[in-house]
Amino acid sequence: MRPYPSRREVLLALGASTLALATHAQEPAPQVSDAPPANAGAAAQRVPFHGIHQAGITTPRPENGIVAAFDVVATSVDDLERMLRLLTDRARLLTQGGPVPDLDPSLPPADSGLLGPIVMPGNLTITVALGASLFENRPWLAGLKPATLQRMAQFPNDALEPGLCHGDLSIQFCANVQDTNLHALRDIVKTCAEFLVLRWMVEGNVPPVIPDAGGATPSARNFLGFRDGSANPDSNDAALMDRVVWTAGPHEPDWAQGGSYQVVRIIRNMVERWDRAPLAEQERIFGRTKMTGAPLDQPGATEHHAPDFTADPEGRVTSHDAHIRLANPRDARSQRNLMLRRPFNYSRGVLKNGQLDQGLLFICYQADLEAGFVAVQNRLNGEPLEEYVKPVGGGYFFALPGVRDDADYLGRALVDAARRT
Amino acid sequence: MIATFLRSTALGLTFAGAAWAADPSLDLVGPLSDYKIFVAENTAQLVTDTEALVAAIKAGDVEKAKSLFAPTRTSYERVEPIAELFSDLDVSIDARADDYEKAEKDEAFTGFHRIEYGLWEEKSTEGLDLYADKLLADVTDLDGRINALTFPPEVVVGGAAVLMEEVAATKISGEEDRYSRTDLWDFKANFEGSEKIYTLFRPLIEAGNADFVAKVDGNFKAVDEVLAKYRTPDGGFVSYDELTDSDRTMLSAKVNTLAEDLATLRGKLGLG
Repeated sequence: MRPYPSRREVLLALGASTLALATHAQEPAPQVSDAPPANAGAAAQRVPFHGIHQAGITTPRPENGIVAAFDVVATSVDDLERMLRLLTDRARLLTQGGPVPDLDPSLPPADSGLLGPIVMPGNLTITVALGASLFENRPWLAGLKPATLQRMAQFPNDALEPGLCHGDLSIQFCANVQDTNLHALRDIVKTCAEFLVLRWMVEGNVPPVIPDAGGATPSARNFLGFRDGSANPDSNDAALMDRVVWTAGPHEPDWAQGGSYQVVRIIRNMVERWDRAPLAEQERIFGRTKMTGAPLDQPGATEHHAPDFTADPEGRVTSHDAHIRLANPRDARSQRNLMLRRPFNYSRGVLKNGQLDQGLLFICYQADLEAGFVAVQNRLNGEPLEEYVKPVGGGYFFALPGVRDDADYLGRALVDAARRT
Repeated sequence: MIATFLRSTALGLTFAGAAWAADPSLDLVGPLSDYKIFVAENTAQLVTDTEALVAAIKAGDVEKAKSLFAPTRTSYERVEPIAELFSDLDVSIDARADDYEKAEKDEAFTGFHRIEYGLWEEKSTEGLDLYADKLLADVTDLDGRINALTFPPEVVVGGAAVLMEEVAATKISGEEDRYSRTDLWDFKANFEGSEKIYTLFRPLIEAGNADFVAKVDGNFKAVDEVLAKYRTPDGGFVSYDELTDSDRTMLSAKVNTLAEDLATLRGKLGLG
């Protein structure tokens, strides 16, 4: 097959679509200022808010995401409870959608209005997580910090910018369109102003792909042009998720059962330099073919075929320092280092050096922070990919257990525990 | 609240006319004239203080001029929403270097912050005479124009929130007085200006808004307590750099909450 259609084919196709338009002459021709038509089904998509776990972790990742990190102003358990109840109310409302209340017009409107008078849920999830710093300097939370929650460390290749790091609380917003996320973020910034001070936020998206005949799509591509997430554990396998993603067991405080450690990393990609690297080198660095994502030892297979590193002990086909081999050596020992990745790509304008500021808003979830991300990143330290990537920010957080029902709220078990101590 | 009350009353009785709607504004007359006095006192003080600052600059006394810089500004910062009604003067009195494409080198860069730049960065009064004269002429002009001004009630009442927006947008980041690090003086003055407006109009809304009043009072008090930690024995403030991250976060939350709440003051008073 030729890689590109011929000029004749393009002209024919254009002619056909012009004809198709002509047959629908009764429909008014769209105006420049008309909003692009939305998909009614996508706008109405609603992710259940109540559950034993928060949504936005093992639920399918939509096209757009935002991570916002906040400093928290809460000087007592009562403050914390008021904040968490308020956050829960807003998240419940925003994710389930509904009409915006009418206020006296001489008052500021109740809603930014970005989504009009009826807020459509648009597949929105709002996932709230706490940082280690929330537990510091608050004696009334002493002894309640999740077992492996800690301040994000500086890894050797990191060039962390203080303004893009850490936070007492993170909120991950995911939705079909970015305006739904931005609307939700603005709502929370406004309604929770008393408790939350915005520290940093990064917006990202993943490019949608046309599904195959069976309705499946491959893993999304990152800004290095490679498929990202091929080796993710099956998020529909509840038993596997219980092992890999959700916290459980006596080593965690009682209140922290059913949560998940969230790692956010803002990883700048040197895209100009990457685009100048030979294809073979790019594939060697990742250990996958660029177009299909297949592992290098089975270049004709798909991205979902597992590489067989035991057949390549000397690293002739897949180098020992290839990204996928370091990240997941596929041996028995590394099974406990699994995590669920759920990243977005970001693009934030131009750097001072005139290069594009693009990269990966890396997000992953795991049941044990040290066994998960920290162990994997330590294996990756020094990998050849580091020439092309530079982590500049992010943080470690603990995603709270889910909200069971209308009477429950995010972090209720933590508040109850704090009152007991 | 008054507007809501009026509207529902009007709907219920159907015969309510314009005279009804005009009545509540009579209540505004007292606080408005008190506020006008407050503004006049501040602009008069601004002229007096600027004269002293200008004299120090012309005498070549860098240290004296530096010591007068922050206190002189406070009279301006207290009444900023009114001062900003005269945008030509606001620009020449209070614009910052980053309002200009060529920053500090821009010829249009004048006023307080140009003088601040000279005193702290260039450590000299040399070349500041022109800016000093211009500043004095501008504040004198401002004082005259404000005295002749009829204060629009919605601008005065709205000013309480506007001052919080000032703090949120330019003071909390510490970029207002970037050379002298005297931001906490401005901070305090903005709060005083906002609290003055709120206090003057509070009696008109207190009755139906007990929660609101308690919350706003509490937040002003919380701000005072944080700022009090940074007072110097002579009544001034330490450098902005000494503000701790946790206090900055606390102030930020209070400022944003006050901005949210005070933004409803106009509506509560029936001013659209």
